[in-house]
Amino acid sequence: MSARDLHGPGAPWGPHEPGSKANVDFKVVGRAHAKVDGLAKATGAAVYADDIVLPGMLHAKTLRSPHAHAKIRRIDVSKARALKGVHAVITGDAMPMKYGVIPWTPDENALAVDKVRFIGDPVAAVAAIDEDTANAALKLIEVEYELLHAFFDPHESLVRAEPAIHEGRKEGNISKSVQLEFGAVETALAGADVVVEDDYFFHGSTHAPIEPHCAVATYSPEGVLTLWSATQITHYVHRALARVLELPAHRIRVIQPCLGGAFGGKSDPFSLEFCVAKLAMLTGRAVKMLWTREEVFYAHRGRHPMYLHYRSGATKDGKLTGVDAKILIDGGSYSSFGLVTTYYSGQLLTGPYHFPTYRFDSTRVFTNKPPCGPKRGHGSVQPRFAFEVQLDQLAEKLALDPIEIRRRNFQGDFTRTVNGQRVTSNGFLQCLDEVERASGWKARRGKLGPGRGLGVAGSMYISGTNYPVYPNDMPQAGVQLKVDRSGLVTVFTGGNDIGQGSNSMCAYIVAEELGIPLERIRVVAADTDLCPVDLGAYSSRVTFMVGNATIDACRKLREKLVAAVAEKWQCAPSRVRLIEGLVIDLDDTSRSLTSVEAFHLAETKFDTLGSTGSYNTPKLGGDYRGGTIGASPAYSFTAHVVDASVDTETGRITVHDVWIAHDCGRALNPMIVAGQMEGSAYMGLAEALYEEHDVNRFGLHRGPSLLDYRLPTSLDTPEFRALIVESIDPEGPYGAKEAGEGPLHPCLPALSNAIYDAVGIRLKHLPFTPAKVLAALRAKQESAPLAAQGGKR
Amino acid sequence: MRGMGEYQLEVNGDTQPVSAPDHWTLLEVLRYRLGLTGSKQGCDKGDCGACTVLVDGKPVLACLTLARASEGRAITTIEGLMPAHLRAGGTGADPLQQAFDRCGALQCGFCQPGMILSARALLDRCPQPSREDMRDALSGNLCRCTGYTQIFEAIESAVAEKLQLQPKLRSWEAQRAAKESTR
Amino acid sequence: MLRLPKFELCTPTTVAEAVALLAESPDAMIVAGGTDLVPNMKHELFTPSRVVSLAQVRELRGICRNADGSLAIGAMTSLAEVAASELVRAQAPALAQACSLVAGPQLRTMGTLGGNVLLDTRCQWYNQTYFWREALGFCMKKDGEVCHVVKGGKNCVAAASNDSAPPLMTLGATLEFASPRGRRAIAIDDFWVADGIFNKKVERDEVLVSIQVPKAPAGHRGAYGKLRDRGSIDFPLLGVAVRLDLDAQGAVEHADVVVTALAAQPKRITKLDAILRGQRPGTPEFEAAVAEAAALAHKQCKPLPNIPGDADYRRDMVPVYVKRTLLAASRGEGPVHHV
Repeated sequence: MSARDLHGPGAPWGPHEPGSKANVDFKVVGRAHAKVDGLAKATGAAVYADDIVLPGMLHAKTLRSPHAHAKIRRIDVSKARALKGVHAVITGDAMPMKYGVIPWTPDENALAVDKVRFIGDPVAAVAAIDEDTANAALKLIEVEYELLHAFFDPHESLVRAEPAIHEGRKEGNISKSVQLEFGAVETALAGADVVVEDDYFFHGSTHAPIEPHCAVATYSPEGVLTLWSATQITHYVHRALARVLELPAHRIRVIQPCLGGAFGGKSDPFSLEFCVAKLAMLTGRAVKMLWTREEVFYAHRGRHPMYLHYRSGATKDGKLTGVDAKILIDGGSYSSFGLVTTYYSGQLLTGPYHFPTYRFDSTRVFTNKPPCGPKRGHGSVQPRFAFEVQLDQLAEKLALDPIEIRRRNFQGDFTRTVNGQRVTSNGFLQCLDEVERASGWKARRGKLGPGRGLGVAGSMYISGTNYPVYPNDMPQAGVQLKVDRSGLVTVFTGGNDIGQGSNSMCAYIVAEELGIPLERIRVVAADTDLCPVDLGAYSSRVTFMVGNATIDACRKLREKLVAAVAEKWQCAPSRVRLIEGLVIDLDDTSRSLTSVEAFHLAETKFDTLGSTGSYNTPKLGGDYRGGTIGASPAYSFTAHVVDASVDTETGRITVHDVWIAHDCGRALNPMIVAGQMEGSAYMGLAEALYEEHDVNRFGLHRGPSLLDYRLPTSLDTPEFRALIVESIDPEGPYGAKEAGEGPLHPCLPALSNAIYDAVGIRLKHLPFTPAKVLAALRAKQESAPLAAQGGKR
Repeated sequence: MRGMGEYQLEVNGDTQPVSAPDHWTLLEVLRYRLGLTGSKQGCDKGDCGACTVLVDGKPVLACLTLARASEGRAITTIEGLMPAHLRAGGTGADPLQQAFDRCGALQCGFCQPGMILSARALLDRCPQPSREDMRDALSGNLCRCTGYTQIFEAIESAVAEKLQLQPKLRSWEAQRAAKESTR
Repeated sequence: MLRLPKFELCTPTTVAEAVALLAESPDAMIVAGGTDLVPNMKHELFTPSRVVSLAQVRELRGICRNADGSLAIGAMTSLAEVAASELVRAQAPALAQACSLVAGPQLRTMGTLGGNVLLDTRCQWYNQTYFWREALGFCMKKDGEVCHVVKGGKNCVAAASNDSAPPLMTLGATLEFASPRGRRAIAIDDFWVADGIFNKKVERDEVLVSIQVPKAPAGHRGAYGKLRDRGSIDFPLLGVAVRLDLDAQGAVEHADVVVTALAAQPKRITKLDAILRGQRPGTPEFEAAVAEAAALAHKQCKPLPNIPGDADYRRDMVPVYVKRTLLAASRGEGPVHHV
């Protein structure tokens, strides 16, 4: 690792020596500051993609396939083109170049070429003077299809290669298959005192950000394409546009306006981005496309359904001996991030518990459904659910307290996982302590009365990964600082603020490092013309990587400021402190300057003031094919306790409380961290209890609306108790790790485990609908009529 | 032209002429005719609450309201709160907007204009609501980011500020306080 | 954004004007709160050339007590107003409870009692966009021939989904309409037909003016139970209205239960009065009679997989909700809802 990467977790300044790790030595970090864009959002001033209106702007709409799997025999757009008010109509042949967010698996087209693969696959796009005219034109496009057998069951895709959903692949309808074994699993399981083997199912769910996807493009007379898009990864959209439009990348500018939620659902390059770009180029007009909510459901990229089979062994004192997993993954119609998903489904399970041996066999197949991709906790929420329920089954067999079995298997900090991943800080034990204490686990468990119980689960997650989707050795995050003579510092970052607060995080760090008030910092983000490259908001990488890059840039600027002031004061640079808008001499308190004066001194002495900073991961990962996938510079850890009850007459589950303890390294802003924890738990509970993304017997989405896809309302949401654990990671920015995705994982298994504690039924198949609960209760009653009262105890 | 209306709408205290086709919703007129893009569109058809505006002080969904049928009603959008607060002699944004900002209730922010207007209407009729009152009043406004906790905390913070009460410690603050007291 | 089809909007200020505007145009439709018709128009389920908004018709709003003690509720009175009305809460508690559980807060402020009574039936194969329905090949309720709920079915079985209908039926309400032919009243019990395509006996040119709710006896108790996935926003997966009139001694004098969201029209549970009559709430005999009534309801109700959700589960919930709603009514409580 180069020096630019590592600045240590300590405070830059403070009453104690620089480098002190105590929260009290920070002036800004560790406190609950408002966000830089909070008031703009609260007053309606913030500009989201659909708020952009440009002179002469055309509106575009997409024609979609009504068939799940079909060849396109003929498309006739002549009537649509002839409609008054229509400016352009394009089909697949306008952009034949295939793309994919993972460069190894380019299998998507902006508009279908030759065939369609799910109901909703984009086929043609129209730009017209308004949406009504564009819609009318869509109805005039004639498409002749030749229907093909459609796959809705992934088990069928596993064994049937024809008709191929993607032609020319030797693996048939298998998208990706990974088998990895670490140690002798069979021997370990044979030697275990107890083995649990079971099947689990994790259903599909989707992100459903409240903002639908929207993109606006212009093409200047000089040949510069500008795209504003509701994306969470500006850089990959930039690259994909260059490829598909066959334009040099320097003639493309991608800007992410304020973003109305993403959760992984805006990570891929999407059809609408290419279409508005192409249509702008063809028409010479600004073009906007706003997807309807229904179209967002078709674009999907949400949680992969997984059929999971686990076998775990333990000694009689509860120590795991081996874990064996076989997973079938329903990928939907395209690859998207599927290569990574397939690896993640196995690679990310190897903490916070020590696995002496481990094996996984994961296979992702194509089906004719909306494509799956990365949803919050990408690829790892599903195996985590299965394993944490299985761990409870083991604890039950061994008559161990569920928290105790988790403690006994703790892997420790500064260690290596069975699959070769480096683990640094690890606050999982404190997480368990916190939820045990706060939930009153010891005093309340088993005493909550009939039908009510407590459940626990744990998890770990990555803070970014050292696997950039396209191989290169350049920094993963870059930041640039510019100083104005007014004292304003502008931060330029390629990082995407998707509501998680990454722009605010940059501002807090600059305020801390340069000792200036937050109001003197502005953040310009996610504009490829203005900002240095960052790989975007995915894999929970932004705080860790952009945060480190920001510190790096600040330290370089700070050095100049200190040197200029030290020269003026004729003192050692170590005596100069930047603090609260002032520059002071530690040894002569009568002497001070404002930070603006210091900026002027430094500009006079050096040059126009600014700096750059960057971050790249150290070399990480196991020494085997795929060993870098899931390798993170630091892992976050989480434990949940869920308090839930079951109405045994209706099968309805009520969640009363969720205690979430999360090790985020250092909470740069505890209020934002708590918001991420609560929001994660909400999303986990939502998919456990209410949401299901699936197609019906015709391959049609069951209910592509926010009426039928049921996001919990405020009345359906329990109290969340966020408890922050700070392990202070040696490599994170001031010791910080991720907080945006990890805290989702334990929610679902902890709920299943709570239901078992409450009424003695093991819910292994998501979602936990009242009908399923009732069926399980009846099955239990039929199998053991005498033991029906009072659950398992 | 048949089906093309010229009419007056009272928005944020100003009566202004509007020219839009009859089949345009109030949301479309606000966003694309009057440039008031603070009202958001999330679900297309009345399922999410992002387009909530106040009509005669009550929260309604602009995406299901036919714009011209709102003639003669007083419409308040999110853009109207701060100017109204300033006109009433206040400083800065509406205290509730400030509380949402202060309490981290704005993550992506997309549902929040509607959420804030629902909350504003709640406080106008019930100055010290319980959490249950809040859950009821906000149950037509979906938020995908927060899990609602920080929204409740923001409303409680605004109430505490107005009534000069001490707001309840948030879970992580209580945890910190407990740690510091045992230190 | 999902767009509305084009239409001409009329905003009359009197009922007479509204009736005239409706009569002029053969495919005109009325919009009240817009919470049903507007999404349905966005789905191209209705594409009227003229829409007559009743938003400005003042005479259609408000709740008053007639000289005989009955209630007259203007058709344009919002569901929120009905739910909050002291008059309605006192005299027709089941109706107030049902209105308090329709959809979510904004939709109750916009939606009207008249609009809820006249709500279009609902089905998972019908309440979808044009694109979706076209991909399906449509269904017999709109643009197509077949039924996807009942294979080979000849009748549309889209579900009556209006929460207000069951309580109004238990209350013996009457609907008053205005049309070019003058005024007419129809008992709500006689208003429904078993046809999911259009389940109401109302002519295209009629305007619902008011809902008349007869004065209930002093010992009237009522409650509403609603099954739905979420605590807000959702339509009913099952709705149960209960009426119990107690005599001076506190025994049941008259009992009535109406269930909805099963099939095209709300369903009255028959032979139930005989089971409950004479029983005194709070006694073991009453509880036994309630259990018997619940079992009877279960026998009589067979929900179809028309609306989203598991039809077998909805059937399982019939006795549970009938029992709970009967008990709630007997105690002067309710609504029965999971939140």
